[in-house]
Amino acid sequence: MKLTKGLLAAGVIATAALGPQMSSAQENEELKLGVIAALSGGGTAWGQGLLRGVELAVDEVNGAGGLTIGGTTYDLTITPFDDQYNAAQAKTAAERLVHEEGIRYLFGPVGSPGALGSIPVTQPEGVIQFVDGYATKILDNEYKDDLFVFRTGLSSSEFSKPVVDWIHEQMPDVKKIGVIAPNDAVGQQAISALIERYESQGFEVWSDFYERGSKEFTPVLLRMVTQGVDLFDLNSNAPGEAALLIKQAREVGFSGQILQAGGAGVREIVDAIGSAADGFLKYDVIDLNDPALSDFVKAYEAKYSGPINGLASQYYSAASILFEAMKRADTLDTIAVRDELENMEGWETPFYGPLNWTGEDFYGVNHQIVIPFYIMKVVDGEGVVEAKIVPDLD
Amino acid sequence: MFSPAVLGQVLINGISLSAIYILVSLGFTLLFGIMRVVNFAHGAMAMLGGYALYYIYGEANLPYLIAMPLAAASVAALALVLERLVYRWFYQKMFQSMIGLLGLDMALVYSAVIIWGPHERSIPSPIDTVYRLGPLFLSGSKLVVIGLAAVTLAAFYLFTHFTKYGLAMRAAAQDVETAEVQGINTDRIYMLAFFIAIFMAAMAGGFFAQNYILSPFMGERQLMMAFIAVILGGMGSIPGVALGGLILGMAESILGTYFGSTTSVFVTFGAVIVLLIVRPWGLLGIPENR
Repeated sequence: MKLTKGLLAAGVIATAALGPQMSSAQENEELKLGVIAALSGGGTAWGQGLLRGVELAVDEVNGAGGLTIGGTTYDLTITPFDDQYNAAQAKTAAERLVHEEGIRYLFGPVGSPGALGSIPVTQPEGVIQFVDGYATKILDNEYKDDLFVFRTGLSSSEFSKPVVDWIHEQMPDVKKIGVIAPNDAVGQQAISALIERYESQGFEVWSDFYERGSKEFTPVLLRMVTQGVDLFDLNSNAPGEAALLIKQAREVGFSGQILQAGGAGVREIVDAIGSAADGFLKYDVIDLNDPALSDFVKAYEAKYSGPINGLASQYYSAASILFEAMKRADTLDTIAVRDELENMEGWETPFYGPLNWTGEDFYGVNHQIVIPFYIMKVVDGEGVVEAKIVPDLD
Repeated sequence: MFSPAVLGQVLINGISLSAIYILVSLGFTLLFGIMRVVNFAHGAMAMLGGYALYYIYGEANLPYLIAMPLAAASVAALALVLERLVYRWFYQKMFQSMIGLLGLDMALVYSAVIIWGPHERSIPSPIDTVYRLGPLFLSGSKLVVIGLAAVTLAAFYLFTHFTKYGLAMRAAAQDVETAEVQGINTDRIYMLAFFIAIFMAAMAGGFFAQNYILSPFMGERQLMMAFIAVILGGMGSIPGVALGGLILGMAESILGTYFGSTTSVFVTFGAVIVLLIVRPWGLLGIPENR
C-alpha cells in the first residue's frame, strides 16, 4: 500500500515537473503516416528496412521542429501494420489504416502481393501510397487515370534490360542462363519478363521452380547442373533463399557465374553464407560507400543494429520526396500533393540525384521513379561496385 | 540426368536431409510417447540450438566437436526451466499442449527477433571444402552432419536399449501407469526424456543452421517436417520416426531431382494422406484401440 502511494506521489510530481514541457510539445498538431510492411515471417528484413527508412525521415523532420503546411506545424507519427508479406493481411491493414485511423499517406506494403492487395482499398479513397513491388499492375491498373500510387524503386521491367545488356557485353562466353524461382504467381511473373529479356538478347534459358519456404534446393540445382548452364540468375529471390541457392549450387559442383538481377541485400547474403558468396554478382539499390549516403548510414547505425537493407534508403528518399511535395502544395489535400509529386521533376533527392518520373508509355502513368542501380561483386565478403547503371527509360 | 553421378549426389543429399529430419522428429515423438505432449515449440528449440552454436562455435571459436554437443546441452539445460514453468502443466494433456506450446513457440521466435533481429546469418562449417570423388561432389559440411547425426542416433539407441534409465524411458513410453507400478520414478524420467528430446532438437537446429541458414524463423519448416515424419512413422514410435524421417528425406531428394519440386511435394504429401486413410496409426505405430 505504502509502495502504491509512493508511486502515485512520484507520478504526480513527475507530471507537474514535465507539464510545461509537454504543453510546449503539444503546440504542434499530429500528422499520422501509415506503414504496411512485413514485420514478421520471412519478409521481415525487407519490412523492417521500409519502416526504418520512414522512421529516419520522420525523425529528421520532427527533430527540425516539424513540418509546416498551410500555416500549421505538424509532428509526424507513424502507425505501422504488419501484413506478413501477404495480400489478404495487407488489405485488412489498409482498411484499418484508411477507414479507422484516417491515414491519407501510406508507405508500403513491401513487395507485390501486399501492394496489389491494398491498392483497391487505398485508391478509391485518394490515399497517396509509396510501394516497391515489381508487378506491372501496381501502376497499370483500373485506377491509373486517377492514381495516387508511386513506385519508389525500379521494377524488373526497368532494370532487367540494362542488366541483360550488361551481361551480354561483359560475358561473351555465356550462352545459356539458368533461372530458378518460387513456384507461385509472384515468382512466375517475376521471371517471365526476365526470361523474355534474356531470349531477346539471344541467350538460351532453362528455368525451374521450387516451393516457397523450402531451404533445400539441391534437387532443383542438380537438375540445373545437368543442363549445362553457364550463368545462374537468382532473379528476385529473397535474400535468404538467394543465399542458399548460391551455397548449394557450389556444393553440387556448379562452377559458372552466379548473378542476381533483382531483389536487394548484398549484406544479407554475405551474412547468411559467408565466403560462399565470393564472386557473386548482384543487382543492388544501395552503395554504402557512396558519400551521399554517409549521413544516412550514420543516423541508421546510431539508431539500429544489423545490416542496412536497400529498402531503408529507398523509403527514406520516398518520404523526403513526399514531405517536400506537401510543403510545396501547402495543403494536406492528397490531390494537390499528388499533383506536386508529379511536378517535382528535377528536385534533388537525398541520394539518387534529380527526381525523375517515368512510365507513361509502359504503364500509362508517370509514377515510376528512375534511380540508378548497381551491379555489385562480392569480394572477400564485401560488396564492391562492378558497375553503376542509370537506366535509360525516358 | 539418370547418370550414376547424379544418383550418387541424390543419395548423399537424401541421407543428409533424413539425418536432420530424424534428429528433430525423434525428440518430438519422445515427448509425445512419454508425456503425451505435442511439442509445437520443438522448431523454436531447434532454432535456439542454432543460435547457441553460432555463439559457442562461430563467435567463441571452441573446437567444433566440443561446441556442437555443448550448444545442444546448453539449450536443453535452459529448456529445463521451461519444463518447470510451462511444459509440466501440459503433461498427459494432448490437445491443451498443442495450443499452449504453439503459444510458447511464437513467444520464443519473436523473442529471438527482438534479441537477434530477423536477418539471416551463417555459421561457418568446420569443413567447408567440396570434395570431388570421380564425378561426385561431396560437401564437407554435409558429411559432418551425416557423421555426427549417425553418432548421436547410435548413442541414443545404445542409451535406450542398454542402460537402466533408457529402458525405464522406453517402458514409460509404452505405458506410463504400468511403468509407475513397476517402481519407475516418472518425474525423473519426464525430465530426462525432456532433456534428451530438446538436446536432439537443438543439435538438429545447429546442423540445419550450419548447412542452411540461421534465423528466428528457421524452425518453422523443421517443425512441419518433424510432425509429418512422426505421423508417417507412427506417433510415439521411435523406430517409426527413424523410418518416417528416412522416407521423407529420400523422397524429397529423389522426387525433387528427377521430377521437380511440385511433383515431389504432391507425391510426398499425397502418400501421407493415403497412409493416414488406410493406416491412421502410421507405418510402425500402434492403433489406439488395440
